[in-house]
Amino acid sequence: MDLVARCQAGDVEAFETLYRQHSARIYTLACRMAGSAEDGEDLLQEIFLQAYRKVGSFKGQSALGTWLYRLALNHCLDYVRSRQAKMNKLTDTIDAETSFEPAARRETPIARLDLERAMERLPEGCREAFVLHDVEGFDHKEVAELLGIAEGTSKSQVFKARLKLRAYLTKR
Amino acid sequence: MRVTAPIVFAGLALVAAPAAAQDHDHDQDHRIVLGDIIRTSLKPGAYQGRNNGPEQTEHFSRKVKIGRDGRFSLSNIAGDIVVTTGGGDEVSIDAVKKTRGDKSELARVQITVDDRAGRVDVRTEYDQDRRDRGSRTNHVSVDYTVTVPASVSVDLHSISGSVKATGVHGSVRADTISGNVTLTDVPKLEAAKTVSGDVLLTGITTDGDLTASSVSGSLRAKGVKARGIDLGIISGDINVSDVTCERLGVKSVSGNVEYAGTIAKSGRYEINAHSGTVRLLLTNPAGFELNANSFSGSIRSELPLTIGGDSSARSGSTVRGRRDAVNSHSMRATYGDGSATLVVRTFSGDIIIAKR
Amino acid sequence: MHPNETILNDYADDLLDPVERAGVDQHMAACAACRQTVEDLREILGAASELELREPPVRAWSRLERAIKMEPRLESGARGFPLDGARGRQPGGSGGARLKGSRSMWIAGLAAAAVLVLATAVGVRYLPANRTDATPAAASAPGGAAQSGAAQSIETELRQAEAHYENAIKGLEAIASSEQSELDPRTAATLQKNLAVIDQAISESRAAVRSQPASEPAQQSLIDGFKTKIGLLQDTVALINEMRKGNEAGAARIASGLKQKGT
Repeated sequence: MDLVARCQAGDVEAFETLYRQHSARIYTLACRMAGSAEDGEDLLQEIFLQAYRKVGSFKGQSALGTWLYRLALNHCLDYVRSRQAKMNKLTDTIDAETSFEPAARRETPIARLDLERAMERLPEGCREAFVLHDVEGFDHKEVAELLGIAEGTSKSQVFKARLKLRAYLTKR
Repeated sequence: MRVTAPIVFAGLALVAAPAAAQDHDHDQDHRIVLGDIIRTSLKPGAYQGRNNGPEQTEHFSRKVKIGRDGRFSLSNIAGDIVVTTGGGDEVSIDAVKKTRGDKSELARVQITVDDRAGRVDVRTEYDQDRRDRGSRTNHVSVDYTVTVPASVSVDLHSISGSVKATGVHGSVRADTISGNVTLTDVPKLEAAKTVSGDVLLTGITTDGDLTASSVSGSLRAKGVKARGIDLGIISGDINVSDVTCERLGVKSVSGNVEYAGTIAKSGRYEINAHSGTVRLLLTNPAGFELNANSFSGSIRSELPLTIGGDSSARSGSTVRGRRDAVNSHSMRATYGDGSATLVVRTFSGDIIIAKR
Repeated sequence: MHPNETILNDYADDLLDPVERAGVDQHMAACAACRQTVEDLREILGAASELELREPPVRAWSRLERAIKMEPRLESGARGFPLDGARGRQPGGSGGARLKGSRSMWIAGLAAAAVLVLATAVGVRYLPANRTDATPAAASAPGGAAQSGAAQSIETELRQAEAHYENAIKGLEAIASSEQSELDPRTAATLQKNLAVIDQAISESRAAVRSQPASEPAQQSLIDGFKTKIGLLQDTVALINEMRKGNEAGAARIASGLKQKGT
């Protein structure tokens, strides 16, 4: 495709077109995986810079958008992993909210912004699993591979995230 | 006679590096420029009377066809740019070259107009001798007055001069290094930037995001309605009034910030100032959750807030206890239904929240 | 006798086989609590899968464009790790390792310094004290072991971050100062003055962190100061590059004796 060739030749305008086409998708993924818009923006920068450097090695075996998404996903995972290592994995604070009891009935449907904000509050570990499974649509086997955990762990992390979200959202 | 006069900056040392070009005609290291006096005294003849002569001018005028969705760009060096809109499908470019030096200087300034499908690009270019490098911006300026069809997109750049645009409804980017940027009724403003100067935005209504920044000067926005607004300045005030947005990002180091506008339901507003005072004057705000922090500034609210009303606080007493134990410079509180988020951080500036 | 968490969760995701599903159906016919739970889980899943895309801030492209323009000329066939192919991907470990390896290759070059700083900045922002849940424990135990422990690790983290920032800052300053002559003196002076303003803010923040290591506003303002300084230095360098391009274009025209428009 012409756009690919031009990007590979270092054409900045073509790269801008690529950016315009895909930045929202990548930015959204980055924000949710990183847990904040600020970090998401920094990751967006790094991801596209990396894409610019690596586009030469794109072989056209998939669509350019898919290649870019994969690059972004890898980058986000790497970031999350290195952050966890740095933090020495904080244990979850004792959280009375993670109860198995059904929460109070919510009157209004879940508003988009409320869910986004609630997601930012999820602790590390279960947020990534939730984003990958419930938001991005990977199945548990894929989530497990991506995060380097067991499939059963993926399921329980997603479940934990859902319960926490339910608790956050019904307090409003 | 070699003159080396290093300018010492805090944290930056400008050292007289040996000139790459071994040119015997140099009698100074032209890369170190200290001021008019030195330049004129070391280059006798060429710029004698540079600031004393009568103003010489040369006019330039061109009309170029551009589609209604065309893109117009203008890169100037020294001089002002004014863009307004008119009907039709052509760009009308009027420029005046000015100098107080010799008239021959004017001929060395080229205005090039590059006209491709759907694009018109105008540039000011100086033919220059290596010897002139330090002084090229100082004695010839070009002032542009341009009229474009309202739906066109414009990209305006100047180095030393102001940029003004009114009524352009295509996307707009405007920046200068030393000068003001004044934009009115530009609904698709993307970015407005200066290094040393003021940015003034008025009468803008857009569904999208807009960005404005300055290093030293002021940022003012009045009568602006946008989805997201990002403002950044190093030293100078930021003043935003009669503004509606869903997302706000404001950053300042030395200068006050004042936001007089609304808070939208579930919006997100972040203000970060180092030493200036942050003042929020809110008109009929939607409910919000406030997270205000300062190292040494005080925090005051004239709106009735529920302290520690956020559900993530285990209990009101914990929050209060934390505040007293650390310092009295942080406030987590809720107004109304707490749907929006206000994050205000300063280092030493005060934070004031009031109703308008 | 409620079905356990995993079963209910899998039920909500339609992952149970028909026999298991029938069992849960039967239980739920009589159990409102489990019905509610499943409904809630599905509601969250539904809302999550319908979340919209977010547009990045407008400034993101300008930043990126600047960083790209500071890149060395792109080499085609640059080494990278295979990203094409089927949906299945490399195991997490090796993918991560490969990223780290290529990351170390970026150290050469100005943009690399900035990226390194960005990565560190993002990492450092994630200090324990920044998480509101953790702050009360660290900060409200005056003189307690918890506080000094947390304070220690915060100091170390901050010092690491500072070191990374200062590296990047030195690199940018070196370039800025050696090429500063490209800028006209007034602009150079404005930029220099404002770098001093930022330095002042940084030293105030530093003093604050020293006096109150556990204070989140102090830490945050120090990090913000570094980032702002990097931003201004990057802008300065980008400005210098632009000016140099203009200079070269003008000089080249003279050299070739032609009066044509620039690039």
